[in-house]
Amino acid sequence: MTGCEVRFGADRSDNGSFRLLELPPDLLKLIETSIENSTSPNLTIKGHPTDDAVLCTQNKTYTLRSVVLSNSICIVTAPEYGEEVNDGDGEGEGKEVVVIRDQVSEVLEVVPCVPKLDRLGGLLKGLEYDIDGDLEEGGPEWDGDGDVEMGSDEEVGGMSQVKKPSGVKKLTLEDARREIQASEYELERGLRDRRILQINGTLRPLRPSSLTTILTLLLNTLVSLSLPHSAAPVDELTITLLEEHEIRREVCRQVMLWFGQITPERTTGEKKEEKWSMDVESVVKEIGLGILRNHKDEPIRQDLFLSKWREEIGDTFSSSLSLSLLTGNYLSHPPLTSPSLTYFPSSSLPPDPSTRFSDLFLTRPRWRAEDLYPFLEGVAVDGKERDKLLLKFARAVGGGDGEGVWYSSRGKV
Amino acid sequence: MFIPINLALDGSNKLPSQLAKISHDELVLIELQGRLEVEGDRTGQAVGKLTLEKVGSPKPTLLIGHHLLEGKTVTLPKPLAVLHRSRPNCQETSDSQGEDGSQGSQEDVSYDIVALVKRKIVFAKRPIPVTGGVQPGSMAGDRDKKERKRAKIC
Repeated sequence: MTGCEVRFGADRSDNGSFRLLELPPDLLKLIETSIENSTSPNLTIKGHPTDDAVLCTQNKTYTLRSVVLSNSICIVTAPEYGEEVNDGDGEGEGKEVVVIRDQVSEVLEVVPCVPKLDRLGGLLKGLEYDIDGDLEEGGPEWDGDGDVEMGSDEEVGGMSQVKKPSGVKKLTLEDARREIQASEYELERGLRDRRILQINGTLRPLRPSSLTTILTLLLNTLVSLSLPHSAAPVDELTITLLEEHEIRREVCRQVMLWFGQITPERTTGEKKEEKWSMDVESVVKEIGLGILRNHKDEPIRQDLFLSKWREEIGDTFSSSLSLSLLTGNYLSHPPLTSPSLTYFPSSSLPPDPSTRFSDLFLTRPRWRAEDLYPFLEGVAVDGKERDKLLLKFARAVGGGDGEGVWYSSRGKV
Repeated sequence: MFIPINLALDGSNKLPSQLAKISHDELVLIELQGRLEVEGDRTGQAVGKLTLEKVGSPKPTLLIGHHLLEGKTVTLPKPLAVLHRSRPNCQETSDSQGEDGSQGSQEDVSYDIVALVKRKIVFAKRPIPVTGGVQPGSMAGDRDKKERKRAKIC
């Protein structure tokens, strides 16, 4: 039986400087691997002082919750170097001493959550990039009044170099990393999904109408130059678009990255030539969205829409065309024999589950399950969580008669 | 706000061997019911004596003054990372603000993971009072003023 003496630490600044973080298996593994390989675990806590803090790994986001314990936990270590244990009378020689560095009565719990990317929209308001208005500018200026509405196709103002007093601040990627409660990977994907360009270091959302134009031009160019869409030379495409349609090369290149992959490829030892492998489905989808976007309030007949869409993408790619590509972006209206569509993007719905549900039930009092699911993807990380939300906010009707489940608002009888 | 969490496991400051065996060789967590409350300055003051008996599994006891606590080592339901705040530039402020210096500057705050812990020692039972002479030498030369005071009360 041996004992050791427990003392309080001598360093007062230790008090309150320790935290205990509960680790779910995936985080534990992450930290253990980075200990093994002596690499940085790339963990950060993000958020404004008023936000709920989140913990971000390289590719995931967790909310941090503080759980108060009724017990207290002493964090005990060996005495630090130089922290001499003053025994007074040299009696303590050779005796082992441990030190309480801090007493903690809360544990931080982490719960996986959806990245909070919606703040991007607000931060980038008024910074939209339009291919018609921005070409000549060298720097990260923008035109327009700063309060340009999303989706408005008219470019206001000229090439004003003067910053408007309304004070639209530019946002760099670094700023976004700081401001947005999301992991690096999720932020990158968020920027890509929201079609946000990086021009001279600042973030500029590409106006949807411009995007459709660029994509249509890309498709046309591919066909007219008879280039293979699975390995199209990047330089040739970007130069053609610059010369014939005045699309900036960096803009064009980023759009190509959103809709495919660019791989450097060596051609016969001379110089490296990059090839673009186009993601046909997503290009087709985006062009379809471009058409659908004009039908927010006025429905368009489904067959009319499909033929318009087919016309826009051309014969070469029409085999990839399918209405299911647009799931989560439209509402289908009866009659079933010739349904019509309206634009209804799930990205425009509120991120908070309860307001999203009330929005959805305002739009339609009753939803078929399979119609409703696509609009819940942004609020639930998986099917299990989605079902939990449905239990909480919606009422399920039917299901037994082979007709499928209908959901209606919980509040109504 | 952007608080990086780094690894800082140097492994150089080892605990006495029995404690190191519990979970982590540099750091051990001891859970107590309630808190250790101390009047006045507690820095560097003695708390008590921690003993680990090796009968089958180690059975820890903690003697504080004339109170003996019996505990056990348990596996944590979820492993814990012990984070320590490091603020290279704010040492003085936290000193001058005393124990609540944590609210000081929020500028360069970062946290270090100093240990991963999977087991802890828990003292969940009520303390057993022990009379003066039971364990001579266990508190070899009782030098702590506070403890002497406590002894008087008992």
